[in-house]
Amino acid sequence: MARTEAAQTDEPTKSEALSTFGRYAGPATLILSSLAEGTKHGYALTKDIEEFADVRIAPGTLYEALARLERQGLIEPVESHDRRRPYRLTADGALALRAHLDSQRRVADVGLRRLASSTETG
Amino acid sequence: MTDTSDAATRRARRLLRFYPRGWRARYGEEFAQLLIDDMSERPRSVTRTADVVRTGLLARVACTGLAGDTLEPVQQIRAGLAAVGCALIAFLAFGVAIWSQLTIGWQWSAPAAPATKTAMLVMTGVIFVFAVLALLAAIPLVCTLCRTFVQRRASGLVGPVMAVVVGAIVLVAGSIHFGHGWPGTGGHPWAGRDVVPIAVARFCWAATLWITSYWAHPGALASFPMSEITWMVASPIALLAVLIGAAKTLRRLPLSPRALRYESWLGTAAALAMAGFLAGAGSWIISGGPAPRGLFRVGAIDSAGVAVMAAALILAFRAAQRALTASLIRSSTR
Repeated sequence: MARTEAAQTDEPTKSEALSTFGRYAGPATLILSSLAEGTKHGYALTKDIEEFADVRIAPGTLYEALARLERQGLIEPVESHDRRRPYRLTADGALALRAHLDSQRRVADVGLRRLASSTETG
Repeated sequence: MTDTSDAATRRARRLLRFYPRGWRARYGEEFAQLLIDDMSERPRSVTRTADVVRTGLLARVACTGLAGDTLEPVQQIRAGLAAVGCALIAFLAFGVAIWSQLTIGWQWSAPAAPATKTAMLVMTGVIFVFAVLALLAAIPLVCTLCRTFVQRRASGLVGPVMAVVVGAIVLVAGSIHFGHGWPGTGGHPWAGRDVVPIAVARFCWAATLWITSYWAHPGALASFPMSEITWMVASPIALLAVLIGAAKTLRRLPLSPRALRYESWLGTAAALAMAGFLAGAGSWIISGGPAPRGLFRVGAIDSAGVAVMAAALILAFRAAQRALTASLIRSSTR
Protein backbone atom coordinates (compact mmCIF):
# COMPACT_ATOMS: atom_id res chain seq x y z
CA MET A 1 0.00 0.00 0.00
CA ALA A 2 1.30 3.46 -0.85
CA ARG A 3 2.04 5.49 2.24
CA THR A 4 1.52 9.21 2.43
CA GLU A 5 4.42 11.55 3.12
CA ALA A 6 2.89 12.45 6.46
CA ALA A 7 2.68 8.81 7.46
CA GLN A 8 6.33 8.27 6.53
CA THR A 9 7.43 11.03 8.90
CA ASP A 10 5.02 9.87 11.64
CA GLU A 11 3.27 13.23 11.48
CA PRO A 12 -0.52 13.37 11.86
CA THR A 13 -2.44 14.32 8.74
CA LYS A 14 -4.27 17.67 8.77
CA SER A 15 -7.58 15.92 9.45
CA GLU A 16 -6.01 14.36 12.57
CA ALA A 17 -4.42 17.62 13.70
CA LEU A 18 -6.80 18.19 16.61
CA SER A 19 -6.02 14.78 18.09
CA THR A 20 -2.49 16.06 18.84
CA PHE A 21 -3.77 19.05 20.81
CA GLY A 22 -4.13 17.18 24.10
CA ARG A 23 -5.46 19.53 26.78
CA TYR A 24 -5.84 22.28 24.14
CA ALA A 25 -8.35 20.19 22.15
CA GLY A 26 -11.34 21.58 24.05
CA PRO A 27 -10.67 25.29 23.43
CA ALA A 28 -9.40 24.51 19.90
CA THR A 29 -12.64 22.69 18.97
CA LEU A 30 -14.73 25.54 20.35
CA ILE A 31 -12.69 28.16 18.47
CA LEU A 32 -12.84 26.25 15.17
CA SER A 33 -16.57 25.68 15.61
CA SER A 34 -17.07 29.38 16.18
CA LEU A 35 -14.95 30.35 13.17
CA ALA A 36 -16.90 27.87 11.00
CA GLU A 37 -19.58 30.57 10.96
CA GLY A 38 -17.22 33.30 9.73
CA THR A 39 -14.26 35.48 10.73
CA LYS A 40 -14.15 36.71 14.32
CA HIS A 41 -11.70 38.57 16.57
CA GLY A 42 -10.79 37.50 20.10
CA TYR A 43 -13.60 39.10 22.03
CA ALA A 44 -16.23 38.09 19.44
CA LEU A 45 -14.97 34.51 19.75
CA THR A 46 -15.26 34.63 23.54
CA LYS A 47 -18.85 35.90 23.38
CA ASP A 48 -19.91 33.48 20.63
CA ILE A 49 -18.45 30.45 22.45
CA GLU A 50 -20.08 31.57 25.68
CA GLU A 51 -23.40 31.74 23.85
CA PHE A 52 -23.37 28.39 22.03
CA ALA A 53 -21.34 26.28 24.50
CA ASP A 54 -21.98 28.06 27.79
CA VAL A 55 -18.21 28.15 28.36
CA ARG A 56 -16.21 31.32 28.98
CA ILE A 57 -12.69 30.90 27.63
CA ALA A 58 -10.27 33.14 29.56
CA PRO A 59 -8.15 35.49 27.39
CA GLY A 60 -4.83 33.74 28.04
CA THR A 61 -6.25 30.29 27.24
CA LEU A 62 -7.95 31.68 24.12
CA TYR A 63 -4.73 33.12 22.71
CA GLU A 64 -2.74 30.04 23.73
CA ALA A 65 -5.09 27.98 21.55
CA LEU A 66 -5.27 30.62 18.76
CA ALA A 67 -1.46 30.71 18.50
CA ARG A 68 -1.32 26.93 18.32
CA LEU A 69 -4.07 26.72 15.69
CA GLU A 70 -2.34 29.40 13.62
CA ARG A 71 0.98 27.56 13.83
CA GLN A 72 -0.70 24.39 12.59
CA GLY A 73 -2.27 26.29 9.70
CA LEU A 74 -5.83 25.54 10.85
CA ILE A 75 -6.72 29.24 11.15
CA GLU A 76 -5.21 32.42 9.71
CA PRO A 77 -5.33 36.10 10.64
CA VAL A 78 -7.25 38.49 8.44
CA GLU A 79 -5.73 41.88 7.57
CA SER A 80 -7.24 44.54 9.78
CA HIS A 81 -6.63 48.21 10.55
CA ASP A 82 -8.24 47.73 13.95
CA ARG A 83 -6.36 46.38 16.99
CA ARG A 84 -9.02 43.63 17.12
CA ARG A 85 -7.48 41.24 14.61
CA PRO A 86 -10.00 38.77 13.14
CA TYR A 87 -9.20 35.16 12.33
CA ARG A 88 -10.72 32.80 9.79
CA LEU A 89 -10.86 29.04 9.35
CA THR A 90 -8.55 27.62 6.65
CA ALA A 91 -9.44 24.66 4.41
CA ASP A 92 -7.19 22.45 6.59
CA GLY A 93 -8.93 23.79 9.68
CA ALA A 94 -12.34 22.90 8.26
CA LEU A 95 -11.08 19.41 7.44
CA ALA A 96 -9.63 18.93 10.94
CA LEU A 97 -12.79 20.21 12.61
CA ARG A 98 -15.03 17.94 10.53
CA ALA A 99 -12.88 14.87 11.29
CA HIS A 100 -12.77 15.69 15.01
CA LEU A 101 -16.51 16.33 15.28
CA ASP A 102 -17.29 13.15 13.30
CA SER A 103 -15.18 11.15 15.72
CA GLN A 104 -16.85 12.82 18.70
CA ARG A 105 -20.27 12.11 17.19
CA ARG A 106 -19.40 8.42 16.78
CA VAL A 107 -18.46 8.26 20.47
CA ALA A 108 -21.61 10.17 21.44
CA ASP A 109 -23.79 7.87 19.27
CA VAL A 110 -22.34 4.73 20.85
CA GLY A 111 -22.74 6.15 24.36
CA LEU A 112 -26.34 7.25 23.77
CA ARG A 113 -27.26 3.93 22.12
CA ARG A 114 -25.82 1.96 25.03
CA LEU A 115 -27.52 4.19 27.56
CA ALA A 116 -30.85 3.69 25.75
CA SER A 117 -30.47 -0.11 25.62
CA SER A 118 -29.47 -0.32 29.31
CA THR A 119 -32.52 1.77 30.21
CA GLU A 120 -34.79 -0.59 28.20
CA THR A 121 -33.30 -3.76 29.75
CA GLY A 122 -33.15 -2.23 33.23
CA MET B 1 -10.25 58.43 26.47
CA THR B 2 -12.01 58.03 29.83
CA ASP B 3 -10.25 57.34 33.13
CA THR B 4 -11.76 53.84 33.16
CA SER B 5 -10.40 52.91 29.74
CA ASP B 6 -7.05 54.50 30.62
CA ALA B 7 -6.86 52.30 33.70
CA ALA B 8 -7.88 49.22 31.69
CA THR B 9 -5.19 49.97 29.08
CA ARG B 10 -2.56 50.33 31.81
CA ARG B 11 -3.63 47.07 33.44
CA ALA B 12 -3.64 45.26 30.11
CA ARG B 13 -0.10 46.54 29.41
CA ARG B 14 1.02 45.33 32.83
CA LEU B 15 -0.46 41.86 32.28
CA LEU B 16 1.16 41.68 28.87
CA ARG B 17 4.60 41.78 30.51
CA PHE B 18 4.14 38.18 31.64
CA TYR B 19 4.61 37.09 28.01
CA PRO B 20 8.00 36.89 26.25
CA ARG B 21 9.06 39.63 23.86
CA GLY B 22 8.57 37.57 20.69
CA TRP B 23 5.03 36.64 21.69
CA ARG B 24 4.23 40.28 22.51
CA ALA B 25 5.56 41.42 19.15
CA ARG B 26 3.17 39.05 17.35
CA TYR B 27 0.06 39.04 19.54
CA GLY B 28 0.59 41.94 21.99
CA GLU B 29 -1.68 44.56 20.42
CA GLU B 30 -4.67 42.31 19.75
CA PHE B 31 -4.30 40.49 23.08
CA ALA B 32 -4.18 43.80 24.98
CA GLN B 33 -7.37 44.84 23.15
CA LEU B 34 -9.06 41.56 24.13
CA LEU B 35 -8.09 42.19 27.77
CA ILE B 36 -9.48 45.74 27.59
CA ASP B 37 -12.74 44.43 26.08
CA ASP B 38 -12.93 41.75 28.76
CA MET B 39 -12.27 44.31 31.50
CA SER B 40 -15.10 46.49 30.22
CA GLU B 41 -17.44 43.58 30.94
CA ARG B 42 -15.72 42.22 34.07
CA PRO B 43 -13.62 45.02 35.62
CA ARG B 44 -12.06 42.73 38.23
CA SER B 45 -11.41 39.02 37.76
CA VAL B 46 -8.91 36.93 39.69
CA THR B 47 -9.50 34.04 37.26
CA ARG B 48 -8.54 36.22 34.28
CA THR B 49 -5.37 37.48 35.99
CA ALA B 50 -4.37 33.95 37.06
CA ASP B 51 -5.02 32.68 33.51
CA VAL B 52 -2.87 35.41 31.95
CA VAL B 53 -0.06 34.80 34.45
CA ARG B 54 -0.19 31.03 33.85
CA THR B 55 -0.24 31.20 30.05
CA GLY B 56 2.34 34.02 30.01
CA LEU B 57 4.78 32.05 32.14
CA LEU B 58 4.13 28.92 30.06
CA ALA B 59 4.96 30.93 26.92
CA ARG B 60 8.20 32.03 28.60
CA VAL B 61 9.10 28.45 29.54
CA ALA B 62 8.31 27.37 25.96
CA CYS B 63 10.82 30.01 24.75
CA THR B 64 13.56 28.35 26.78
CA GLY B 65 12.87 25.07 24.98
CA LEU B 66 11.96 23.28 28.23
CA ALA B 67 8.26 22.75 27.43
CA GLY B 68 5.69 22.99 24.68
CA ASP B 69 6.15 22.62 20.95
CA THR B 70 6.07 26.24 19.90
CA LEU B 71 9.65 26.35 18.63
CA GLU B 72 10.92 25.26 15.24
CA PRO B 73 13.39 22.32 15.50
CA VAL B 74 16.45 24.55 14.98
CA GLN B 75 15.21 27.04 17.57
CA GLN B 76 14.40 24.14 19.90
CA ILE B 77 17.96 22.80 19.62
CA ARG B 78 19.50 26.24 20.19
CA ALA B 79 17.18 26.99 23.12
CA GLY B 80 17.80 23.53 24.60
CA LEU B 81 21.57 23.94 24.35
CA ALA B 82 21.38 27.41 25.92
CA ALA B 83 19.31 25.95 28.78
CA VAL B 84 21.83 23.11 29.26
CA GLY B 85 24.63 25.70 29.34
CA CYS B 86 22.83 27.84 31.95
CA ALA B 87 21.95 24.83 34.10
CA LEU B 88 25.53 23.56 33.86
CA ILE B 89 27.02 26.93 34.92
CA ALA B 90 24.65 27.13 37.93
CA PHE B 91 25.37 23.48 38.78
CA LEU B 92 29.13 24.01 38.58
CA ALA B 93 29.05 27.15 40.71
CA PHE B 94 27.53 25.25 43.63
CA GLY B 95 29.31 21.98 42.86
CA VAL B 96 32.74 23.58 42.70
CA ALA B 97 32.00 25.44 45.96
CA ILE B 98 31.43 22.10 47.72
CA TRP B 99 34.33 20.40 46.00
CA SER B 100 36.81 23.19 46.76
CA GLN B 101 35.81 23.18 50.46
CA LEU B 102 36.47 19.44 50.61
CA THR B 103 39.76 19.97 48.80
CA ILE B 104 40.81 22.41 51.52
CA GLY B 105 39.99 19.75 54.13
CA TRP B 106 42.01 17.16 52.23
CA GLN B 107 44.98 19.56 52.11
CA TRP B 108 45.16 19.29 55.89
CA SER B 109 44.15 15.70 56.39
CA ALA B 110 42.75 12.88 54.27
CA PRO B 111 39.08 12.17 55.08
CA ALA B 112 38.44 9.30 57.49
CA ALA B 113 35.03 8.28 56.10
CA PRO B 114 35.23 6.11 52.95
CA ALA B 115 32.09 7.85 51.64
CA THR B 116 33.82 11.25 51.78
CA LYS B 117 36.95 9.88 50.13
CA THR B 118 34.92 8.21 47.37
CA ALA B 119 32.79 11.34 46.93
CA MET B 120 35.90 13.49 46.52
CA LEU B 121 37.46 11.14 43.99
CA VAL B 122 34.20 10.88 42.01
CA MET B 123 33.72 14.66 41.99
CA THR B 124 37.35 15.25 41.00
CA GLY B 125 37.04 12.73 38.17
CA VAL B 126 33.82 14.32 36.93
CA ILE B 127 35.37 17.81 37.01
CA PHE B 128 38.04 16.44 34.69
CA VAL B 129 35.26 15.06 32.44
CA PHE B 130 33.58 18.50 32.49
CA ALA B 131 36.85 20.10 31.39
CA VAL B 132 37.17 17.66 28.46
CA LEU B 133 33.52 18.18 27.45
CA ALA B 134 33.93 21.97 27.66
CA LEU B 135 36.95 21.79 25.40
CA LEU B 136 35.13 19.56 22.89
CA ALA B 137 32.09 21.85 22.95
CA ALA B 138 34.17 25.01 22.56
CA ILE B 139 35.92 23.94 19.35
CA PRO B 140 32.97 24.27 16.90
CA LEU B 141 31.59 27.24 18.84
CA VAL B 142 34.83 29.22 18.64
CA CYS B 143 35.38 28.26 14.98
CA THR B 144 31.86 29.38 14.02
CA LEU B 145 32.20 32.53 16.10
CA CYS B 146 35.50 33.47 14.42
CA ARG B 147 34.05 32.77 10.97
CA THR B 148 30.97 34.86 11.76
CA PHE B 149 33.10 37.78 12.93
CA VAL B 150 35.42 37.55 9.90
CA GLN B 151 32.40 37.53 7.56
CA ARG B 152 31.00 40.56 9.45
CA ARG B 153 27.71 38.80 10.21
CA ALA B 154 28.03 39.06 13.98
CA SER B 155 25.99 42.18 14.70
CA GLY B 156 23.73 40.43 17.24
CA LEU B 157 26.64 38.56 18.81
CA VAL B 158 28.92 41.43 19.85
CA GLY B 159 27.04 42.23 23.09
CA PRO B 160 26.67 38.62 24.34
CA VAL B 161 30.28 37.73 23.45
CA MET B 162 31.52 40.88 25.22
CA ALA B 163 29.49 39.90 28.31
CA VAL B 164 31.11 36.43 28.31
CA VAL B 165 34.62 37.80 27.78
CA VAL B 166 34.38 40.62 30.37
CA GLY B 167 32.64 38.34 32.91
CA ALA B 168 35.25 35.62 32.40
CA ILE B 169 38.16 38.10 32.71
CA VAL B 170 36.72 39.45 35.99
CA LEU B 171 36.19 35.91 37.32
CA VAL B 172 39.64 34.65 36.35
CA ALA B 173 41.55 37.75 37.49
CA GLY B 174 39.60 38.02 40.75
CA SER B 175 39.90 34.30 41.51
CA ILE B 176 43.66 34.37 40.97
CA HIS B 177 43.99 37.46 43.17
CA PHE B 178 41.75 36.27 46.02
CA GLY B 179 43.02 32.69 45.72
CA HIS B 180 46.17 33.82 47.52
CA GLY B 181 44.12 34.19 50.69
CA TRP B 182 42.77 30.64 50.71
CA PRO B 183 42.88 28.65 53.94
CA GLY B 184 44.80 25.71 52.44
CA THR B 185 48.15 24.61 53.72
CA GLY B 186 50.18 27.05 51.64
CA GLY B 187 53.75 26.38 52.67
CA HIS B 188 52.71 24.00 55.46
CA PRO B 189 54.89 20.90 55.78
CA TRP B 190 51.84 18.67 55.30
CA ALA B 191 51.27 20.14 51.84
CA GLY B 192 51.29 17.49 49.15
CA ARG B 193 48.37 15.44 50.46
CA ASP B 194 46.22 17.26 47.91
CA VAL B 195 43.98 15.34 45.52
CA VAL B 196 44.35 18.12 42.93
CA PRO B 197 47.05 20.76 42.30
CA ILE B 198 46.87 23.54 44.92
CA ALA B 199 46.62 26.26 42.25
CA VAL B 200 43.42 24.68 40.87
CA ALA B 201 41.90 24.18 44.32
CA ARG B 202 42.50 27.73 45.53
CA PHE B 203 41.31 29.21 42.22
CA CYS B 204 38.01 27.30 42.52
CA TRP B 205 37.67 28.26 46.19
CA ALA B 206 38.11 31.97 45.40
CA ALA B 207 35.75 31.83 42.40
CA THR B 208 32.94 30.46 44.59
CA LEU B 209 33.67 32.48 47.73
CA TRP B 210 30.22 34.09 47.46
CA ILE B 211 28.49 30.74 48.09
CA THR B 212 28.66 30.91 51.85
CA SER B 213 26.39 30.84 54.87
CA TYR B 214 28.04 34.08 56.07
CA TRP B 215 25.28 35.96 54.20
CA ALA B 216 22.95 34.80 56.98
CA HIS B 217 25.35 36.19 59.62
CA PRO B 218 25.91 39.85 58.73
CA GLY B 219 27.85 40.48 61.95
CA ALA B 220 30.48 37.91 61.05
CA LEU B 221 30.48 39.01 57.41
CA ALA B 222 31.20 42.62 58.44
CA SER B 223 34.51 41.50 59.93
CA PHE B 224 35.72 40.43 56.46
CA PRO B 225 38.05 42.84 54.57
CA MET B 226 36.05 45.21 52.37
CA SER B 227 37.88 44.00 49.25
CA GLU B 228 36.74 40.43 49.96
CA ILE B 229 33.12 41.48 50.49
CA THR B 230 33.27 43.46 47.22
CA TRP B 231 34.57 40.35 45.48
CA MET B 232 31.77 38.24 46.99
CA VAL B 233 29.26 40.66 45.41
CA ALA B 234 31.11 41.20 42.12
CA SER B 235 31.89 37.55 41.34
CA PRO B 236 28.25 36.32 41.10
CA ILE B 237 27.45 39.35 38.93
CA ALA B 238 30.36 38.42 36.64
CA LEU B 239 29.12 34.80 36.60
CA LEU B 240 25.62 36.01 35.70
CA ALA B 241 27.09 38.05 32.84
CA VAL B 242 28.88 34.93 31.56
CA LEU B 243 25.67 32.88 31.93
CA ILE B 244 23.41 35.35 30.09
CA GLY B 245 26.04 36.09 27.44
CA ALA B 246 26.68 32.39 26.81
CA ALA B 247 22.95 31.64 26.53
CA LYS B 248 22.40 34.50 24.05
CA THR B 249 25.48 33.53 22.04
CA LEU B 250 24.31 29.92 21.79
CA ARG B 251 20.85 31.03 20.65
CA ARG B 252 22.22 33.39 17.99
CA LEU B 253 25.31 31.63 16.70
CA PRO B 254 24.65 30.25 13.17
CA LEU B 255 25.83 26.70 13.89
CA SER B 256 25.48 24.09 11.14
CA PRO B 257 22.95 21.23 11.66
CA ARG B 258 25.86 18.86 12.16
CA ALA B 259 27.42 21.09 14.81
CA LEU B 260 24.04 21.43 16.54
CA ARG B 261 23.66 17.65 16.66
CA TYR B 262 27.22 17.29 17.97
CA GLU B 263 26.59 19.90 20.68
CA SER B 264 23.31 18.17 21.60
CA TRP B 265 25.18 14.90 22.20
CA LEU B 266 27.72 16.76 24.33
CA GLY B 267 24.85 18.39 26.25
CA THR B 268 23.45 14.93 27.03
CA ALA B 269 26.92 13.75 28.09
CA ALA B 270 27.25 16.82 30.34
CA ALA B 271 23.90 16.02 31.97
CA LEU B 272 25.10 12.47 32.67
CA ALA B 273 28.34 13.83 34.14
CA MET B 274 26.27 16.17 36.33
CA ALA B 275 24.37 13.14 37.64
CA GLY B 276 27.71 11.49 38.52
CA PHE B 277 28.96 14.60 40.31
CA LEU B 278 25.68 14.95 42.21
CA ALA B 279 25.87 11.31 43.28
CA GLY B 280 29.33 12.02 44.70
CA ALA B 281 28.21 15.16 46.53
CA GLY B 282 25.09 13.40 47.76
CA SER B 283 27.04 10.45 49.16
CA TRP B 284 29.20 12.89 51.18
CA ILE B 285 26.11 14.72 52.49
CA ILE B 286 24.36 11.46 53.46
CA SER B 287 27.17 9.16 54.59
CA GLY B 288 30.31 11.28 54.91
CA GLY B 289 31.71 11.95 58.36
CA PRO B 290 33.15 15.19 59.77
CA ALA B 291 36.42 13.58 60.84
CA PRO B 292 39.25 14.23 61.12
CA ARG B 293 39.14 17.52 63.08
CA GLY B 294 35.73 18.44 61.67
CA LEU B 295 37.29 19.25 58.29
CA PHE B 296 34.52 17.50 56.33
CA ARG B 297 31.49 18.63 58.32
CA VAL B 298 28.33 19.14 56.25
CA GLY B 299 26.83 22.64 56.62
CA ALA B 300 23.39 23.99 55.72
CA ILE B 301 24.90 25.78 52.72
CA ASP B 302 26.13 22.41 51.40
CA SER B 303 22.65 20.87 51.62
CA ALA B 304 21.22 23.97 49.91
CA GLY B 305 23.92 23.65 47.24
CA VAL B 306 23.01 20.03 46.57
CA ALA B 307 19.33 21.03 46.26
CA VAL B 308 20.23 23.70 43.68
CA MET B 309 22.40 21.20 41.83
CA ALA B 310 19.55 18.66 41.76
CA ALA B 311 17.21 21.29 40.27
CA ALA B 312 19.87 22.26 37.70
CA LEU B 313 20.37 18.60 36.80
CA ILE B 314 16.64 18.08 36.16
CA LEU B 315 16.58 21.18 33.93
CA ALA B 316 19.73 20.11 32.08
CA PHE B 317 18.43 16.58 31.46
CA ARG B 318 15.12 17.85 30.12
CA ALA B 319 16.74 20.52 27.93
CA ALA B 320 19.41 18.13 26.62
CA GLN B 321 16.85 15.44 25.83
CA ARG B 322 14.60 17.93 23.99
CA ALA B 323 17.56 19.39 22.06
CA LEU B 324 18.81 15.93 21.09
CA THR B 325 15.33 14.75 20.04
CA ALA B 326 14.85 17.89 17.91
CA SER B 327 18.27 17.44 16.30
CA LEU B 328 17.58 13.77 15.50
CA ILE B 329 14.11 14.58 14.08
CA ARG B 330 15.65 17.35 12.00
CA SER B 331 18.36 15.09 10.58
CA SER B 332 15.86 12.28 9.85
CA THR B 333 13.52 14.61 7.91
CA ARG B 334 16.28 16.16 5.78
